[in-house]
Amino acid sequence: MTLLDQIRIATPHRLETRSLILLSLALVLFLLPLLQVVSDGYNYVLHVLMVIFMYIAMASGWNIIGGYAGYTSLGHPVFFALGAYFSGVLLVYRGWSPFWTAPIAGLVATLFGFAFGLVALRTRGPAFVISTIALLLLAQLILDNWEWVGGSNGLSLPMIGWPYRFYKIPFYYGMLLTALLAIWVSYRIRHSKLGLFLRAIAMDETKAEVAGIDTRMCKVIAFAISAFFAGVCGALWGYQQTYLRPTIFLTIGAAADLVLINLVGGRGTVAGPVLGAALRVGLDELVVNQVGSTELNITVTGLLMVLIVLFFPGGIVGALRERRHLPRLLDWD
Amino acid sequence: MTSGLQILILGLALGGVYALMAIGLSLTYGVMRILNLAHAAFMVLGAYLAYWALQILHIDPLVSILINGPLFFILGIVLYRILFVPLAGRSRYTEATLLLSFGLALGIEGIMGAMWTGIYRLANPSYATRSLVFGSFYIPEGQMYATAASLGILIALWGFLQKTRLGRAIRATMQNRTAAQIVGVHVERISALAFGLGMASAGVSGSLLSFLFPFFPGKHWQWISILLSLVVLGGMGSLIGTVVGALMLAVASVYVSSALGPTWSPATFYAALFLVLMIRPQGLFGKREV
Repeated sequence: MTLLDQIRIATPHRLETRSLILLSLALVLFLLPLLQVVSDGYNYVLHVLMVIFMYIAMASGWNIIGGYAGYTSLGHPVFFALGAYFSGVLLVYRGWSPFWTAPIAGLVATLFGFAFGLVALRTRGPAFVISTIALLLLAQLILDNWEWVGGSNGLSLPMIGWPYRFYKIPFYYGMLLTALLAIWVSYRIRHSKLGLFLRAIAMDETKAEVAGIDTRMCKVIAFAISAFFAGVCGALWGYQQTYLRPTIFLTIGAAADLVLINLVGGRGTVAGPVLGAALRVGLDELVVNQVGSTELNITVTGLLMVLIVLFFPGGIVGALRERRHLPRLLDWD
Repeated sequence: MTSGLQILILGLALGGVYALMAIGLSLTYGVMRILNLAHAAFMVLGAYLAYWALQILHIDPLVSILINGPLFFILGIVLYRILFVPLAGRSRYTEATLLLSFGLALGIEGIMGAMWTGIYRLANPSYATRSLVFGSFYIPEGQMYATAASLGILIALWGFLQKTRLGRAIRATMQNRTAAQIVGVHVERISALAFGLGMASAGVSGSLLSFLFPFFPGKHWQWISILLSLVVLGGMGSLIGTVVGALMLAVASVYVSSALGPTWSPATFYAALFLVLMIRPQGLFGKREV
């Protein structure tokens, strides 16, 4: 009997090993910035983790519509940009800190996602993905030509007033909290009636509708919730970058990232996007930053996508589950 | 400000080319329920090949149609066999093909970027800068040749679909795949043929694109959303709908371009797409999917 088994038996409320490990991981992540406070030199680590949290939050959000419901969205960069510009404009023109306007930016993205979803999700099938591409390009066109928010030159934001040594820490916590919220929401939806309906829609929308599910409302709500996390991340990321420009947010490449993260990790699972995001950022730091980025990066993304769809459709979590090798630690469904 | 009739003439001429560009998308969706997001990427690839042919071999883009057509037809059949046949029988087939073609589009975009860099290109055959004037109306000479070529190819395609056995088999598969199979249509072979034809239309319209519109590798995203917008307006899987949608939206975009400036002409297509989804999601000629 392992030590962990003994702990499990000894714990009165049957706190599972899995929860224990995950909780301690969360605790470590919460305490990590202390290292930077105690001794300088951890800004890089904090930055990489922050980017991982951001991708976890956005990919987990994307998974709610793209994974559970099976409706691929390439429009999520629009919500990211919406959040970034909403909080950025309030910072520049009103001096309000994005740290407290970020949740509002998320809600604005949610509202916008709801309204857009009502139109784009009326039909079944591929018309939705078409409309999300069109939304992305339309947003590009509008932001490029809207001088009040800087047009294609973009908008410079004032720097956060913290000393350089500590300035990553608030962003780190902001993204960490957003990521944890995203995972929690994703988990709760997966285990709710809505989650059941969404999976029914992904499998056979006609049958789901015949069974009495209001498929349109379910899809629209899922889409609106998933937009929230992109909005919050955008608000924080824009502030962190200190400038907003349409071309850094609104690209198909950014949309492809979210799709690929979910495909690699496993679409429609709670743990999939988390794994995928960590892999995506980790590999980026290890490979791309060493080799340097080229035009061919996007080819690698594309080829990976093709290979995964052909040979590995369930992603890591899906493939492990199929072979019954999925460790309990990753089985969050 | 351009006169109304002038706008109509330019719009219809443009619409003929758009119809050729989009017909392949409509065909592959109609026959196989594959939404090929890489269609416009192949079109831009065709434009680069035509550009190359003109620069290096001095082959006129209108002549390189004859090269691009067969080349992309064969490429289409090969790609279909390698990439799409293994997906047959998947429970979420359309979605899998969508992601696959999305990956394909990204792959091609990166390769084009590596080979030809991101700068704007435009082939310049002698007729590209000339205009023909009829009384008070004008039409760019290149545009006129491109429209004439498009109409010729579309009519040939129409004749093929109406008059030949293979064409009838394609239409039968579009109408009802299972029933077509029952009456003896070899749907797998027909699907490969339709995918090849769709890709050929991408390659051929790439030749026309090369001297009509400036292009760079990432441009295909704008093209795919323009083309998909008019396919959705016409009704997904309806070939005649695609042609009508192309003509309508091309005229509308020329009008918007003359009223608000060329920057906003792509917005016509996006706005039209959202309007269609709001008012008549199945499109003009589409059937409501049950």
